[in-house]
Amino acid sequence: MTHVFNLRSIFLAPHAQHVVLIHFPIALFLMGVGFDWMAKIRHSARLLTAAHLNLAAAAILIVPTYLTGLLAWRLALAGQKMRGVLLDHLVLASATTLLVITTWWLRSRPRSRPILLALVELMGAIGIAVTAHLGGFLSGVNT
Amino acid sequence: MLRLHSLLVAILGLTLILAVALRPSSATGQTAAPQAIEIKVDNFTFSPAVVTVPENSTVTWTNKDDVPHVIASTDGVFRSKGLDTDDHYSFQFTKPGTYTYYCSIHPKMTGKIVVP
Repeated sequence: MTHVFNLRSIFLAPHAQHVVLIHFPIALFLMGVGFDWMAKIRHSARLLTAAHLNLAAAAILIVPTYLTGLLAWRLALAGQKMRGVLLDHLVLASATTLLVITTWWLRSRPRSRPILLALVELMGAIGIAVTAHLGGFLSGVNT
Repeated sequence: MLRLHSLLVAILGLTLILAVALRPSSATGQTAAPQAIEIKVDNFTFSPAVVTVPENSTVTWTNKDDVPHVIASTDGVFRSKGLDTDDHYSFQFTKPGTYTYYCSIHPKMTGKIVVP
C-alpha cells in the first residue's frame, strides 16, 4: 500500500494534482467575495484591492485546477463515459469556472453594475460550495 | 488358539476401520472445488474485506457506491476499469498466494484474497 509520505504517490498519482490545487481557488474566491462585500459595507479601498487581488488569483488558478480535473478523469478512469456524481461534478465545475472568471472580469471593469456583480459572486460562491461538496464525496472525504 | 486368532482378526479389522476413518482428506488427492465469490464495494469499503477461496475460484466485485472505483492488486496481477454504480469486475485466481488489492482512486480502501 502507498505510504503517506511516498513522494511518487503524492505528486504522480493520476488524480493527486487536482485534489491539491482545488483548495486554492476555493479559498481565494470565497475570501475575494468576502472582502468585496466588506469593502462595500465599510467603504474601504484597501479591502476592495484585497478583493480584486484574491478574485484575480482565483480566476488564474481555477484554469489549471479545471484542466487537472479533466486530466484526472482521463488518467484515473481512462476517460470512460461519465455518469452520476462524477458527471454532476463536471457540469457544476464547468459552470463555476465560468462564474469565477466572470466575477474577476466584472470586478475589473470600473462600470460594472454592482447588483450584477453581487449576483454573479453569490452564484459563484454557491457553485463552488456545491462542486466542492461533490468533489469531496468523490474523493471519499465526505463519507 | 482359535480365540487368539479371532482376537488378532478383530484387532486388524478395527485398525483398518480406524485408518480409513481418520485418514487426512488430502490423502485422497482431491482439492476443494472452485467457488464464485461476490465482494460488495459499498460505502468506500470492500465487504468482505478478506476472503479465502480455493484455487481457480472467480471473485466478482460489484460497485454499490454512487462514485466510481477501480479495483487494482498491489502487485499488478489484476486491475479493473473504472466501475460505476452496479458495474462488475471478475477475476479468476488460478495460482495460490495472498493477493492484496485496493481502489486506485481511493487508496484507503483495501482488501485481501487468500488462495491457499
